[in-house]
Amino acid sequence: MKLEKGEISSSQLMLLVGSFLQGGLLSLSFAYAISRQDTWLAVLAALFIGLLFALVYIALANRFPGKTLMQINDLIFGPFLGKLVSIQYLYLFISSLSVYLWFIGDFVLTYLMPETPIILIMIMFSLLCAYAVRQGIEVIARICFIAIIVTSLVILITFALLIKDMKYTYFLPIFEVPIGELIQSTHIIMHVSFSEVLVFLMVIPYMNKPKQTKKSVLLGMLIGGLGLLTATIRNIAALGPLSAIVTSPSLESVRLIDIGKVITRLEVLVAMAQILLLFIITSVLYYAVVLGIAQITKLRSYKPLVLPIGIFAITLSLISYESSMQLRYSTRYITPIFTVWFYFILPLLSLLVAKLRKLPK
Amino acid sequence: MGVMLRYLTSKLKYLKLVNQYYATNQKNQAPSQDEKTPTSLTQNLTTNLEILNGFIGNNFDLVIRKFTFGEHRQTNAALVYLNGMTDQTMINESILKPLLFESVPNSNPASNHSVIEMITMTMLSVAEIKKRTLIQDIVEGYLSGETILLVDGSPEALVIMTSDWKSRSITDPKTESVVRGPREGFIENLLTNTTLIRRKIKSSDLVFESMKIGERTKTTVCIAYIKDIANPLLIEEIKRRLKDIKTDSILESGIVEQYIEDAPFSIFSTIANTEKPDLAAAKILEGRAAILVDGTPFVLTVPMVFIESFQSSEDYYSRPYFASIIRMFRYLAYMLSILAPATYVALTTYHQELIPTALLFSMSAAQEGVPFPVLVEALGMGVIFEILREAGVRLPRPVGQAVSIVGALVIGESAVSAGLIGAPMVIVVALTAIASFVVPAQTDSGGILRAIFTVLAGFSGGFGIMVGLIGVSIHLASLRSFGTPYLSPLAPLSVPDLKDTFIRAPLWAMITRPRTIGWHDPKRQEFRLKPGPPSEEDASSN
Repeated sequence: MKLEKGEISSSQLMLLVGSFLQGGLLSLSFAYAISRQDTWLAVLAALFIGLLFALVYIALANRFPGKTLMQINDLIFGPFLGKLVSIQYLYLFISSLSVYLWFIGDFVLTYLMPETPIILIMIMFSLLCAYAVRQGIEVIARICFIAIIVTSLVILITFALLIKDMKYTYFLPIFEVPIGELIQSTHIIMHVSFSEVLVFLMVIPYMNKPKQTKKSVLLGMLIGGLGLLTATIRNIAALGPLSAIVTSPSLESVRLIDIGKVITRLEVLVAMAQILLLFIITSVLYYAVVLGIAQITKLRSYKPLVLPIGIFAITLSLISYESSMQLRYSTRYITPIFTVWFYFILPLLSLLVAKLRKLPK
Repeated sequence: MGVMLRYLTSKLKYLKLVNQYYATNQKNQAPSQDEKTPTSLTQNLTTNLEILNGFIGNNFDLVIRKFTFGEHRQTNAALVYLNGMTDQTMINESILKPLLFESVPNSNPASNHSVIEMITMTMLSVAEIKKRTLIQDIVEGYLSGETILLVDGSPEALVIMTSDWKSRSITDPKTESVVRGPREGFIENLLTNTTLIRRKIKSSDLVFESMKIGERTKTTVCIAYIKDIANPLLIEEIKRRLKDIKTDSILESGIVEQYIEDAPFSIFSTIANTEKPDLAAAKILEGRAAILVDGTPFVLTVPMVFIESFQSSEDYYSRPYFASIIRMFRYLAYMLSILAPATYVALTTYHQELIPTALLFSMSAAQEGVPFPVLVEALGMGVIFEILREAGVRLPRPVGQAVSIVGALVIGESAVSAGLIGAPMVIVVALTAIASFVVPAQTDSGGILRAIFTVLAGFSGGFGIMVGLIGVSIHLASLRSFGTPYLSPLAPLSVPDLKDTFIRAPLWAMITRPRTIGWHDPKRQEFRLKPGPPSEEDASSN
């Protein structure tokens, strides 16, 4: 029995990947403090490395068409070892999920509703995601179209309106940042954004034209990456050294827009786009976790798992972090190190083992 | 598993309810199943009349006219019809007169069977005559206004089409007024309605398929579609759902709608309705199917997509620029009608920094001395507005004016000057009210959404509005109407269909029918229809 009855088209997958990556807009702020005016270089580098990573993931998906990551693990490593690997991936997904829940709570607290308890925002948001996950991947993919239109428009419009405030001297000197810090920044961006494309191994099997996987994932990454790049350039050019200090450079830079006192306070648009994008990311991660657990435990439907997993993720995020400074520290210095195992080594290992065992037979 | 269990429990509950009634009322239960009821006519006229009487009973509008006819007045016969549903002149002139005053030619007493044939062939000047033997058919014909002619010695009856009852004349539709376009609207009579559509589409491929629904009302329901444009699967699905309706009464198309819709729990309607024949014809021509129900001027069209609510028939009759701009304003008005109070509440309660300073001053000055929080004010005004609206709809016209005066003067003017509500709130509610009438098809869902958004904004500001918007988007994206995604052509995206979504492309550019509905036969028109003066090449070739 198939757990997911919906199907998504190749263009929907492309938009899904694109909006998933554009959601990194908020978490990019972790990198600004390290690579300062060269952050756009780090984004560019991360985009290229991310495309290479994606090739590994796509190779894995194309080798086992119609199989999700959990099923692929079972096939490659055998039922027992495969489950062990699957559980590791699940840990990764659920911890990212809890991080994003914290993100949304923190973002709303900082910029919209300073006096609301964070748990209320998390509960509202995860109920929303739970509703989307229950409707299946098809519905999430359909909303993506709206999301990518809204966010791309917001990025383009704000870029155009900020041109008069931009100073190109803010980019100079290029390569002034030590190469080690540039690599560290690239690594962080990889960690928070591009390498998370791994989660789409849970979604790709439900595409109606499996042959176009490669094209649509790579194109989607390009769309998302270019969106991030545009936003980064905008932020650095508009804010300059300030971008390394503020918590959300996108919001702060858009705040500068003031055209004849008519077009002002556009940060609302950015905040709306941000919430929409975080919703897409959270829903996809949520979906992957729920579907993964259902596949490992061989349930007939993933729907009973949706609410319990949501509660679990909220709890996890509340006990993992006490403040956003803690989250900042851990995202800069701790988690990027150990997620290399999940994003890089494990998929590569899987591919190697599959090649050696000449799978699928 | 769970689905099956739920089905079983609901079935058991139903049986328990029904059986409770029959157990207590066992005596009253008609033992009709056991008694031998005749199913077809006999040779004898008196027995036949008795049988019919048993079915029809003592109705005051029942007329049984016995007479004898033939050369020597040797044959007994009877006419049975319902007074008021039949054309009396027609019965007198075209049935009784020839039978009484003209002799049956070649009447051969040896073969009684041919008397009825001869009557049909030579005497009755009525277009539609059917021969029936089954009692059920006869009763059905009689109940829909046909006249039954029974002849002694014949096991067959003639069911003569004489039905004619009073109906309203064709007037302009009350719910959908237009500045430009046909002024005629559907009426209650099904046959007139099918004629109105047929007059627009004179194609032999236009099909009207009818069926009777409702065990007691026996309402005629008619599916209209164009054979080679409509998707056959869609027609099959409509027929299947219509056949599954096992209820006693169908009084209006709204009842049919509630039995066949895809999402009965959704606040959004997944079946469109219209009162205008040109609109119904346009939808049929796009590959949709129309469902006409006898006794109502509202015709259903399926499948419905969300953007259909924002399209008006006038968009296509006026030139594209104006139509596109008006359509944009409709989207804007819809957003205003569901979001304006919520945005006002969110801004004044949580995000004061977003309001321009001068405006903030005047707003807080107006708010000064108002005893309630903005959320309470907004909800209260919302309730008052809904009450006023409902009262205005139901009341007779002269009283309606009184209501609007009370609403405008007392609640608007006096409440502000008495300091009960702030003036900005009145402006917001008035704006919302006017905006909500711009998109009539979504007025009912809009009211509910408005209340939800206002509450969300009151409790969590802009974040709440955003959560609500995403939630509504998820819901809309998950809906389907007869297989067509409700949000198409936006999500899933279908680029060729965008020509008639936010803008209305020039008519000559709309070469294809909507992909999601009429892709069965995509071509609507020829490729080069762009008008203009003859080009150089044409001129030189001439």
